[in-house]
Amino acid sequence: MTPRTETRILATPLVLFLLALLGFPTILNLVYSLSEVSFETLRAPRIEGFGNFADVLGDGAFWGSLWFSLRFGALTAVAEVALGLFLAVFLSPILRRHSWLLAILTLPMMVAPAMMGLMYRLVLHEFVGPLPHYLFAWFGSSPAFLGPANVFRTVVVIEVLQWTPFALLLFHLAYEAIPGEIREAARMDGAKGWRMFRKVEFPMLLPTFGVALAIRFIDGVRVFDIIYVLTGSGAGGSTMSLPIYIYTSFFKGGDIGKALAASVLFAAASFLLLALAWRFIGRRRPA
Amino acid sequence: MTALRWAVLVLFALLFNAPLIATLSTSFKPPGEIMGNPGLWVNSPTLANYAAVLTVSDRLNVYAHLWNSLAAATIGAVLPLLLCLPAAYAVARRGWGQRVFLPLVVNLRAIPLIIFALPLYLMYQVLHLLDTRLGLGLILAVVNLPLTMAILVNAVADIPLEIDEAAAMDGARAGRVLRRIVLPLCRPALVTAFIFGFITAWNEFLFGLMLTTSKAVPMTVGASFFFASGGAGVQWGVAAAVIVVAALPPVVLGLLMYRQIARAMMAGAVKG
Repeated sequence: MTPRTETRILATPLVLFLLALLGFPTILNLVYSLSEVSFETLRAPRIEGFGNFADVLGDGAFWGSLWFSLRFGALTAVAEVALGLFLAVFLSPILRRHSWLLAILTLPMMVAPAMMGLMYRLVLHEFVGPLPHYLFAWFGSSPAFLGPANVFRTVVVIEVLQWTPFALLLFHLAYEAIPGEIREAARMDGAKGWRMFRKVEFPMLLPTFGVALAIRFIDGVRVFDIIYVLTGSGAGGSTMSLPIYIYTSFFKGGDIGKALAASVLFAAASFLLLALAWRFIGRRRPA
Repeated sequence: MTALRWAVLVLFALLFNAPLIATLSTSFKPPGEIMGNPGLWVNSPTLANYAAVLTVSDRLNVYAHLWNSLAAATIGAVLPLLLCLPAAYAVARRGWGQRVFLPLVVNLRAIPLIIFALPLYLMYQVLHLLDTRLGLGLILAVVNLPLTMAILVNAVADIPLEIDEAAAMDGARAGRVLRRIVLPLCRPALVTAFIFGFITAWNEFLFGLMLTTSKAVPMTVGASFFFASGGAGVQWGVAAAVIVVAALPPVVLGLLMYRQIARAMMAGAVKG
């Protein structure tokens, strides 16, 4: 057996697995999105061209959900990264000595987003929820957190509270990895406090900045669990993210072709975003 | 300044974990207290809610959900290790697939998996994998592939070249080198990938929701059904206990294995 053959054999199981679980579905995606198909005619789709894509692109709800996802992704990513960076740097003297505190701060990341959503249904409930209870007790009123006027803000804040720890952790690890000599040298040159951070430390955190922003943006755009359990698609579709749109067209609307066309468009948009993100971060990894 | 730092730390630790604290508190309240006392303090703590959760009823069989989650998450965490270790060796030592295959797998993390969920549903229907633990486990394995691959490629690349070269000189085949040398040396990385994969798989919701209906429903989805079926008459104490039970395993694992988790996150961020 030549080394070349051997190498191929080593990689074969993974390649086959991916072909079966992602390659085949991708082909199904493409075929069905171009077909007229329903749950009854699943095995005999009739190719009919780009009608499904026209349906999706003509659907106001699709554009609404795209706008929601982009806005949600951008807002949460920026807030999480800003807050995470602040906490990592501001708390670094404490965290350096008591690193177990990081386990407490990053605990929310271990909670399933769907369970986090259910917890907030309890926390925000107008009769049994602690938050409205305390707001009533202290201020005499409490907003309808999940009402149409506030629901967007509410889900953004919830997402930020759950995932800021992720940015915090990345920045903490990157900040601690800055070599001591660099800080020492800068101190010799008279840099300290804010100047030290801005001129010396922040530039060294920039790669982490890009990575954290990109990861959180992508995760924000594809948000599903937390919104599904909290609001469904929300009052009048006010919290319909792209994945929620795809899910509801498939399972509630029963419009398979349209749902698949939407997911093909989503896939294309994701690849585009990904390419842009890597260009923005400015390096093509991996390994 | 130090006092201010501590104050900020305590404030955010409480803020981030507030929903957990509130849910824990509610789960210990008797039914009579929940309406009258929505605050965080429990006046007359009880374990009745947990007793109700652990009793099988027609609304909730918690053992079935836990078993489904355990089985599917185990498949979802172990299978990527088996698939990725040989492939990682091919990538790191033989230079295979570095230009196209590896970036493709690692960047899967950034692709919204719902785009595969619908065709998988149709495919599973034909293959009779809908509503099975195996079917759910297989797709959870896909979810975990990118990070497992990143972690294992790094781990294999970190093994000193001389060690496996010496073995190769002695005429050992790749399979043998892999079993005798790479596998033991990669054990810490395998543990890290397993723990992170298990937590991710346990916490997954979308595929559980779409690909299971009754027999293989995982704990996260079961908990949300419990909420939904309650309608106006949600028993909040029992519901809170259900959430705690569903959220607890990954949280405990996360607290115990905090260092491994941080390492896994880092691998994903640097290589992702």
